[in-house]
Amino acid sequence: MDTGVSGGGDEKAEFDPSEITYVSYGGEHHLPLIMNLVDQELSEPYSIFTYRYFVYLWPQLSFLAFHKEKCVGTVVCKMGEHRSTYRGYIAMLVVVKPYRGKGIATELVSRSIRVMQESGCEEVTLEAEVTNKGALALYGRLGFIRAKRLFRYYLNGVDAFRLKLLFPQPYIHPSLLMEAHEDSIRRSSSDTIEVSH
Amino acid sequence: MAAAEASIFSGSGDNSVWTDVSPLLQAACNGLQDGELIHGDNFNLYAAMSALEIMDPKMDSGMIGRYYSVDEAIDGGAAPIPISFDRTVDVQCTIDIMDHLLACEATWHKGHSLAQTVFSCIYLLRPERTTSHALLHSYSSVIRATCKAVISVVSDARTHEEEDLFTMMYGLNLNGEDEKCLSILNAVEETISRQLRACRALSARRKVLEDIEPLQNNPMLEEGYCRAILARLRFRKHFYHVLMCLKRPQGRGLQLARKHVASCISELKAIRELSGQHTACGGQTISEDRTTASGRQPVGFDASLNARLSAPTPPRSIKILSWSEFQKSQPDLVARAHLQRLLLQDGKLFGREAIFSVISKAATLPEVVKNHDIEKMECVIQLGQLVINLLRILCANSAWQRRKLGKILQDWRVTYIQLELALRSKFGEPSGTPSGENICMNILKQLLVWVEEKVYWIASRFLMLGFELELYSTSEYGMVYWYIYVVSVKLVEKLHHRISISNRGKRVKCRGKKKRVPGKDATRDIQFSPTVLFLQSHICLAEGLTMMLAALRNEKMILESPTPFNSDQERFFQHFELLQKAGIPDHNSYQSFEGSTKNASLSMLAMYNHFKDAQRIAKEVKSSFSDDPERLSELRRIEQVAEHNSVALSLLCRVGDALDSSLKLSFEFSHHPHFATAVVRRS
Repeated sequence: MDTGVSGGGDEKAEFDPSEITYVSYGGEHHLPLIMNLVDQELSEPYSIFTYRYFVYLWPQLSFLAFHKEKCVGTVVCKMGEHRSTYRGYIAMLVVVKPYRGKGIATELVSRSIRVMQESGCEEVTLEAEVTNKGALALYGRLGFIRAKRLFRYYLNGVDAFRLKLLFPQPYIHPSLLMEAHEDSIRRSSSDTIEVSH
Repeated sequence: MAAAEASIFSGSGDNSVWTDVSPLLQAACNGLQDGELIHGDNFNLYAAMSALEIMDPKMDSGMIGRYYSVDEAIDGGAAPIPISFDRTVDVQCTIDIMDHLLACEATWHKGHSLAQTVFSCIYLLRPERTTSHALLHSYSSVIRATCKAVISVVSDARTHEEEDLFTMMYGLNLNGEDEKCLSILNAVEETISRQLRACRALSARRKVLEDIEPLQNNPMLEEGYCRAILARLRFRKHFYHVLMCLKRPQGRGLQLARKHVASCISELKAIRELSGQHTACGGQTISEDRTTASGRQPVGFDASLNARLSAPTPPRSIKILSWSEFQKSQPDLVARAHLQRLLLQDGKLFGREAIFSVISKAATLPEVVKNHDIEKMECVIQLGQLVINLLRILCANSAWQRRKLGKILQDWRVTYIQLELALRSKFGEPSGTPSGENICMNILKQLLVWVEEKVYWIASRFLMLGFELELYSTSEYGMVYWYIYVVSVKLVEKLHHRISISNRGKRVKCRGKKKRVPGKDATRDIQFSPTVLFLQSHICLAEGLTMMLAALRNEKMILESPTPFNSDQERFFQHFELLQKAGIPDHNSYQSFEGSTKNASLSMLAMYNHFKDAQRIAKEVKSSFSDDPERLSELRRIEQVAEHNSVALSLLCRVGDALDSSLKLSFEFSHHPHFATAVVRRS
């Protein structure tokens, strides 16, 4: 959906990374903090139900970053079965402008990804605008690839990349995948025909 | 169905009564604790995400815009007819409207909705109002007919999946008497031509033969305005003709369409030149961000009027492209739809040639195949469908095209296997077979080679498009070039095989006619055709890049931090999954990639320079393509990439460890869209 982690302009906050505390979504008291952050920093309009959908069903996947009582960043995600793949989805990632560029977003999203991995997800996915250099660099460093380009994905006409992170899997030889497919079309043939290349 | 729908929306008539539930809602709110929700059986949290907050302008379409409806806008004077009672001002404003409509149409072509672009014009929304205004009426009739024709061709092409916003008409009325629109336009053009002649005669102090009412009041400006309007009307006329010509079956209208396109271009030139002479606005040239020649905002446009037609949520506001912005863009959906319709009609190429005939030529099958039963084989028919589908895919936008190319690899593989099975089941193991069946067997074998060649071609294009779409990060270039190298080697192998078979066939035919010159045919056997050499230059380049990137990595001259959750192996699998599933190539590729590149070093590359090979081959083969400008420019690009990379490589070999201190290395696509050039700069 949306990631707001780049730029930030002039006003930069002075802080040491160790002063940032990361907290898992703890309940209703966190919801207005998340909503305010996202409303402020991202352009998509979300109703309160959108937030509730994510934080109620997957509270363990949402995290908030605090600097001395002030909420400065958040990540909101979900996970589930999608076409026989169990996968995570990063819906929103925001850090307020004065706190950008210091690794807060990376830490927030990494925590979510770790929970997804531990929960058995095979992969993690999200969309990002092709122009969102900050987000693309962040996810690139975490090992996401640009799997697809989605033409005019956003309503303002901008293209998007579908980013995907694949967790290491128990290894299946590609030829086994291939043979399984070929067997299904070689119904009646009795001899094992070797496909020549 | 319509009646049932109507009854729902009208409140189902009989038993329904409106009642105020505010107290009930208030009581419910008071009764709920923080964080509690009321659950409905058929309404879950996922469904709730579509909820809107009423009166939030970002979510509620009804909250935006000055006017509640088109009629209210008209009553409010947003689109007066005539535009002004001063005829000069009226003409000026008409020109502005024409210009802005063209800009809207261009913006629509670039993928925005019709409702927010062309139909943001109030005059177009109520066409019956303009009948008294000849200029507006004729122009808007033709534009409506044009839009309808464009939607028709794009809908028919069905390659616009992600661009489906384009053909949505939102219930807007595009109907009109299309056949009449041209004659109306011609009549208006004729009138203005007479007005132009009359004012020129007057200024030359010649007698005016007819009593013509001038276009507008100011005799000083009459000629300028007549010419400005004529250019615009003529552009519209020629553009409409282009669409009508291209509609004709089997590409018969192509030549005439070309002529009309040339006329369109010259009318646009005239419009630009004349706008520089608009004395009424001080001779402004069309500036960068204007949609009108005069620079004024046009009368009668409101993009928010159709907001409720699009969706519950308000459409994002869009910027209508200025002329110069549109000039810079590439041909898009409309052009591709026309191309596809030209290529494929009634399941035939250009509506004329049967697909099997196309395949026979492409696969250089022997002439004898024409009346053969082979055409009726199930797997051959399937192959025909694959070819048609491939042509259609190649007319789609590159993002969608790449995804489809990846997916069809499996289908082509399946067809290959079926052809192979057919070959084995019909002929068993090749041994002494009667000559008639021998021909059929050879044809099937040739088809198999061609199918394999095509599979590798599709795979190659799939990989290259990734560069155009910016899907690869720099750290992935190495594995991508390796894969391109491996696939291209196979492609060339199959291509060469096919060419040799067909050459052999030709020589066999000539055998009775002349004596074979001993030795000559032997050299011909190992000679490679120009097409093969052309591809070979690409292969050398791909190999060079693979090795250079691997060497730089091995010698730590490009540093890549490890990623926390996975490794290169996962990314390799992700990028090439579709190819791997289709068995391209057939062995365990990540291990092969590692094996091929783990020993790469700069000193090794200094000894064997793939880039120099690429340069040499490209140079040598240029003469064979002297009448093919596209191939020639491609070869020139290959030479440039090869040369620059060769130089960079030498520099890197000399520099060694000093790279990280004072120099910065990057890979850029300055000379070729798919093959990167290494650039070394002082940091």
